[in-house]
Amino acid sequence: MSAKKTTAKGRPRATTPHKATESHRMDPREKRWLFVLIGVFLAVNIITLSPAVPWQRWLLWSKPEPAKSFAIEIDDYEFTLPPMEAKVGEYVEFTATSKDVTYGFGAFRQDGSLVFQMQVLPGMTNSIVWRFDEAGSYDVRSTEYSGPRHSEMLVEDAITVTQ
Amino acid sequence: MAQLSWQEKWTLRFAVVGLLFLALSGFEGLLMRTQQIDIDALKPMEGVLNAVRLGTEPTQEELFYSMMTAHPIVGIYGFVYMAIMGAFYYLVPFLLKREVRHKKLEVANFFLQPIGVMICWSAGFFGMFHSLYTLYWPLPVAFDRGMPVISTIAFSVGAAIIMVNILLFAFNLFSTVLSKSNPQSYSFWGFLRSAFGINRLLKWLGKEDKGAPNLDHNGLPVFLVAVGRGSIDTVINAFVLLTAGALILVYGLAALFKAPLDPGAVNALVYKNWYWWGLDMVADGNVLIYTAGIWYLLVPLLVGRELFGANVVKTVIMVDLLVSMGVWSHHLLGDRPQPGWMKLLSGQFVTWGEFFTMGLTIFAALMTIWLARPVKMTPPLKFVLASIFGFLMGGAAGLTQANTGLNMVFHNTQWVIALHAHTFLLTAVGSLVFAVLYTLVPMMIKKEYRFPKLVNVHLVLWLVGAITNAYAMGMAGMEGMLRRTLYAAGMWDPYVLAAMAGGILMALGLVVFLVNVIGTLGLGNVLRLFVPEKWLAKKEPAAA
Repeated sequence: MSAKKTTAKGRPRATTPHKATESHRMDPREKRWLFVLIGVFLAVNIITLSPAVPWQRWLLWSKPEPAKSFAIEIDDYEFTLPPMEAKVGEYVEFTATSKDVTYGFGAFRQDGSLVFQMQVLPGMTNSIVWRFDEAGSYDVRSTEYSGPRHSEMLVEDAITVTQ
Repeated sequence: MAQLSWQEKWTLRFAVVGLLFLALSGFEGLLMRTQQIDIDALKPMEGVLNAVRLGTEPTQEELFYSMMTAHPIVGIYGFVYMAIMGAFYYLVPFLLKREVRHKKLEVANFFLQPIGVMICWSAGFFGMFHSLYTLYWPLPVAFDRGMPVISTIAFSVGAAIIMVNILLFAFNLFSTVLSKSNPQSYSFWGFLRSAFGINRLLKWLGKEDKGAPNLDHNGLPVFLVAVGRGSIDTVINAFVLLTAGALILVYGLAALFKAPLDPGAVNALVYKNWYWWGLDMVADGNVLIYTAGIWYLLVPLLVGRELFGANVVKTVIMVDLLVSMGVWSHHLLGDRPQPGWMKLLSGQFVTWGEFFTMGLTIFAALMTIWLARPVKMTPPLKFVLASIFGFLMGGAAGLTQANTGLNMVFHNTQWVIALHAHTFLLTAVGSLVFAVLYTLVPMMIKKEYRFPKLVNVHLVLWLVGAITNAYAMGMAGMEGMLRRTLYAAGMWDPYVLAAMAGGILMALGLVVFLVNVIGTLGLGNVLRLFVPEKWLAKKEPAAA
C-alpha cells in the first residue's frame, strides 16, 4: 500500500522524506511540541500535588495526628457506624473494615456531591484522615459495587459536622 | 462488485459480526439507562424473558448488574476485538505482501471469539452472573452471598475461550510478521528484546545484540512495528486475565463439588494489582499502540504524504509499550493500603507517560495532514480526525482522574466510565473502526460507497451522540453520581435522559452506516459472506 504521489487536486507531491525522518533525531517542530508537553506535565502535576488541592495538604504533606478516630464495620451490605461527630477544621480518621467483599466508603454532601472516598478491601485496615471545612450533615454511601444490593448502602446524615 | 479474495471475505465477516456486537452492546446500554430512570421499566419485557431463564425470577437489580457485567465483554471483546482481528488479518499480510501464516487459525479465531463472548453474555442473561468486569476478589466467588456457582463457572469458561483465542490471534500475527520482516532469521526472544528496545540500549552501551532484529531501522512499516509491540500487551493481557479466570474457575468447581475453598486465602490487594496490571494492557496498552499504528498507516495513505517523523514515532511506540507496563496503579488510587509511592510513581507519573506518547503520536498525525494541504476530506479522513478528537477528550479526562489528588472526587463516578472510558471506546476507537471500514471496503470491492452523503450524516449522528452521552454522564459524575449504582428515581434523571438521547443518536448513526455498507456491497453479497463456500460451489454448476 504505497502512498499516493499526488494531492486530491492532482498536484504533484514531494515524496522525499523530511531529513529528520531518516534518523531518530527529532524535527525542530516536534522538539518544540515536546517542550510544550513537558510544560503541561510539570504545571498540572505541580499544581495537583501542591496544597492548592486542599486534601493534599494533610494526605500528602503534613500527615497530622487525628483528633478522633471512627471505626466502621461493613458486612453483608450493612454499615455498622459509630456516632460520627466532628468540628469544622478538625482532623478525624475513618477506619473501615470489611468482613466479606470489597466495598467503598464515601461521604456525600446533602446535594449529592462527593466529599471524599476510599475503597474498603476485605482482610485489611482501610484508613483515611479528613478535615471538614463546612458544618452540616453528611451521608455515607458505599462507593464500590459489592453485589445487587449495593445501591441500598446509603446511610443518611451519618456524619455531623459542627462549628 | 469485484471478486473478493479469501482474506477479504474473512475480514468482512469479522467486521459484520463485530458491528452486530456493537449493536447488542448499544442496546444493552439503552436498557440500563432505562432502568436508571425507572427500575421497574423493563419488568414486562423481563417477565417474558424469564420463561427462557429456566424458571428463575431475578430481581430488577440482579438484571441490571448482570447486564452491566456482560456489557463491556460484548463491547470490547465482541465489537472491538472482532474489528481488530478482521482489519489486522487483512492489513498485515497486505503490507508484507504475503498470506497469513496459519489460515486455519484465522477461521478458528472467527468462531471462538463470538462463542466465548456469548458464553459470558449467557452467564449474565440466563445465570445472573453479576460480578462486573472488575471481578474484585472475592466477589466472583462469594457464593454464600448469592453469586450463582454455575454461571460463575460458565463466565470463567467463556472468558478463558476469549483469552486463549486472543493468544492464538497474537501468535498468528507474530508468526506472520516474524517470518518476513528481516532477511536474517531470528528467535522470538530476539524479537522481544528488540520490541522493548534492549538492543538499542546495548548499542548505546557499546555492545551489539546480533540476535535481535532491528524493528526501528529495517524498513518495516510503522504500522507493523505498532502491531508487533502492541501485541505484546495483548498477550500479557490475555495471560493475566486467564490466570484470574482460572482462579475463579477453581473456586467455582470446588463449590460445585461441595468442597468450598476459603476466599480469604487470596489477598484482595495483591489480586487487584495483578488483575489491573493485566487488564490495563488493553486500556492503556494495545488500544493506544494499535490506534497509533492505524493512524500511522491511514493518514499518509489518505493525504498522499509520508508520515511526519516516521522513525521517531517508532521510538514513541516502544516508549508506549514500556509505559503500559507500569501504569496500572491509577486504578488503585482509592485503595488506602496500596503503598503511596506506587500511587505516585505508577498511578500518576508513569501514567503521564501516555500524555507524551499520545501527544507525540497525535502531533505526527496532524502534522502529516497539515503538511499535505490541501487535502480532500474523504470519509475515512473525517473519521480519523474524529478518532483523534476522541483520544484528546478521553485522554484528558483519564489524566484528570489518574491523579492522587483529583481521584478523591472522581474515582468510581460517572466521570470515569463516561467521559474517559466511553469517549475512548465510542468517539475514539469506534470512529477509528469506521475509518478503517470506510478505507478497506472500497479497496476490496474496487468501488466507492454508494451513498456519499450518508457519510456526513453518519459522522454527525455518531459524534454528536457519543459526545452528548459522555458529557451528560461526565457532568453527573462531577456532581457526585457514582458508576455501578442504581439511584432513587428522579435524582439524576436529566443527565440520564440526555445520555439516552446521545445513545439513540449513535444508534441512528450506526443504522445509517449499515444502510450505506449494505447498499454498497449488496444485501445478497453480505448474506453470501455467511453461506458456506461448498454450498456456493454446488450451486454454480447448476446455474451454468
